Amino acid sequence: MLGKIFFLLCLSSAWAEDLCSKAVPPEAYYVRLSIKTALGDKAYVWNDNEMFLFQATLAFAMRSQFSGQEYNVSNIVVCDETPRVSFWFVVTSLEDPSRLVSRGDVEQAVRKSRNRINSAFLLTDQTLEFIGITPTLAAPVAPNTPPWLIVFGVVMGAVFAGILVLLVLPLIQKKRKKNQPMEDEDSDEETQVKTAENGPERSGVYNMSFSDDDKFTQM
Amino acid sequence: MEKRPNWESPIQFVLACVSYAVGLGNVWRFPYLCQMHGGGGFLIPYLIMLLLEGVPLFYLELAIGQKMSRGSIGAWTAISPYLGGVGLASVVTSLYLCLYYNIINAWSFWYLFHSFQSVLPWAECPINSNRTGPIEECERATPTQYFFFRETLNISPSIEENGGIHTGQAMCLLLAWMITYLFIVRGVKSTGKVVYFTATFPYVVLFIYLIRGITLQGAFNGIKYMFIPKMEQLANPNTWINAATQIFFSLGLGFGSLIAFASYNHYNNNFERQAIIVSMINSGTSIFASIVTFAIYGFKATVNYENCLERVRLLLLNTFNIAEDSITNDNVFTWIEKLNTTYPVQFAEIENQLEACDLESELNTAVEGAGLAFIVYSEAIKNMPLPQLWSVLYFFMLLLLGMGSMLGNVTAIITPLRDFKVLNGVVCLFCMLVGLSFTTTSGNYWFTIFNDYAATFSLLFVVLIEVITVSYIYGIRRFEKDIEDMLGHRPNWYWKIMWTITSPLLLIFLFVTYIVNYIRGGTPTYQAWDKELGKTVVKEYPIFGQIFIGLLLVSSVSCVPLTALYVYCQKRKRGNHLKRAAPWLNCGTL
Repeated sequence: MLGKIFFLLCLSSAWAEDLCSKAVPPEAYYVRLSIKTALGDKAYVWNDNEMFLFQATLAFAMRSQFSGQEYNVSNIVVCDETPRVSFWFVVTSLEDPSRLVSRGDVEQAVRKSRNRINSAFLLTDQTLEFIGITPTLAAPVAPNTPPWLIVFGVVMGAVFAGILVLLVLPLIQKKRKKNQPMEDEDSDEETQVKTAENGPERSGVYNMSFSDDDKFTQM
Repeated sequence: MEKRPNWESPIQFVLACVSYAVGLGNVWRFPYLCQMHGGGGFLIPYLIMLLLEGVPLFYLELAIGQKMSRGSIGAWTAISPYLGGVGLASVVTSLYLCLYYNIINAWSFWYLFHSFQSVLPWAECPINSNRTGPIEECERATPTQYFFFRETLNISPSIEENGGIHTGQAMCLLLAWMITYLFIVRGVKSTGKVVYFTATFPYVVLFIYLIRGITLQGAFNGIKYMFIPKMEQLANPNTWINAATQIFFSLGLGFGSLIAFASYNHYNNNFERQAIIVSMINSGTSIFASIVTFAIYGFKATVNYENCLERVRLLLLNTFNIAEDSITNDNVFTWIEKLNTTYPVQFAEIENQLEACDLESELNTAVEGAGLAFIVYSEAIKNMPLPQLWSVLYFFMLLLLGMGSMLGNVTAIITPLRDFKVLNGVVCLFCMLVGLSFTTTSGNYWFTIFNDYAATFSLLFVVLIEVITVSYIYGIRRFEKDIEDMLGHRPNWYWKIMWTITSPLLLIFLFVTYIVNYIRGGTPTYQAWDKELGKTVVKEYPIFGQIFIGLLLVSSVSCVPLTALYVYCQKRKRGNHLKRAAPWLNCGTL
């Protein structure tokens, strides 16, 4: 049993090396990582362990997409690693290591688990690029009322209120002024009437000349 | 008879003039002229023109307004009945200005309201419907241009094609007019209080921006670029012409607003000192605003330059698969050389994608007008930390500047019309309804027609007639006596020489130059936004556009001769009623 597994591993690694020395197959996807751009000082060094993680995450992606099919690290063949940290990879099929999984299937798997792959490397869609697989951009958050309308409503309401106040206030003031001289006149009349009542009963026309004068001077 | 209202204090009058004169032109036209005409060296022709024509003409208009205590039509009719047309021309020009100027305030409101979001809408391109990437038009242009041309204006490809009204714009325009009405509803009483704020707050914002601006990365590049004078520009006649024109328009002469404001003054108000103060403040603000603008320019240019370098660096890294940290922004150019020599074939493939990053050329992109305020500035703002705050501050300042100028513009119309008992509300409503046409998809092109032609030519003409009238027809001696009556002393020889000789000569020269340039310029053109290319292209105005331009130019100017003719005929008719013996003098049939 152990011997068989060992044999298969040797075969697959030999097969992988074979694959890498040939021309880039059409099912391959280029991957490019920009670790230093994304993380700056906290950037980790890219080494074989990181590559192993990549293979593992991709195997995980394939497994999530095609449930039941148990992809392994050995199924993810990586070639042409450059100092840029870019390489291309293919996925060998489970039944036959010489056959490669189609581009469409790989794309679906990557798209489905893109988030998980990104977070495994602390990168984003822009810093971990799969050339040919455009990232699905997040749907824009569209609030029910656009925020500008709210601010507009507030300002418009304030201005409207201001105009009303400025138009109505002088009218109210005018009314008050009209009532005031009337009140003064009434109180004058009252006192005069009171004094008149003490004397003989008033008859004839009330002498308005005094209060009339007051009215005129107030105007 | 209703007593004419007055400013509550001379400070209100000064602030009203400052609020009116200090407007958007100080922020977006002067820095452009500075850049075009040799940086710091431009200050020389600018200050000379301020002394030769700016202050004297400002003084003249204030004197007329304060003496006659009437709006422009009444004032000029009182000076000489034949020249009431000058006042009418001022009112017509102010009307044109009112029609289109509030659109700028509507845009400021639009931007201001859109600043209250977590991500400024002009910071990033919106995503297309497939969610595969940004909208193409936005990709080809920049997000700020896209937001201005597509989301704010929804601009059509040319002036001939029209569409519907942009509802958001229309609402903002309605708000702008309501606020204008609010400011003038009680006449001088409300205007006088408002100007305390509209005249002073922009300086607070400018000061805050100055501090923010000079602490930005790369600001010094911009300021250095602006202030290092390129003296050879002084030999260019256009520099002097532009300096004269800028002083002239910046002070707002000829619209009748200054006459209107001064008409609410007390008879003995010392307007001589105020004229000098306001003119100095106006020019000082222009210079102050350009320092801020250039600091921001420098920042924006540096950011763009750094981004350009970053893009080139990425391109090199990705094509040649070199380790990330080997190429930095500083050694990009050395790497380009190296790679060109070592891998010429591969390099040739990416040659056309390689951008030439140059800080000088970024600084050189001089922009003026609405483009500067709404595109360049908003681009700079989105790169600042806490962009929402800076955006709100900036557009609020633009609003105050614009509203302050609108106050003057509207006062110039309602003051003379007040004598004809036309209501303030009617004027505002009329202007707003006509202004709605500027919110249509081709509205911005019509706006540009108004902006370029409605006020320029007619103002030169109006002010020329004004100064010649006062100096020669009314008589400089009579004018001197009037000023002595008001101020207690005669204007000294400097003013008299400017009014009688220098300013008229300068104005005639500017007037003739304008006509010559207009004729020599051939068919007038405009910048149309091309959505496929993602940039503006130059197009010629169609026939109806050119006719409209001609109408605009002629309509306000013709008020002067037409009114003179009308008054002449009226006088002749009245003369005929008195002496019926000469029937052949009947002019009524004309």
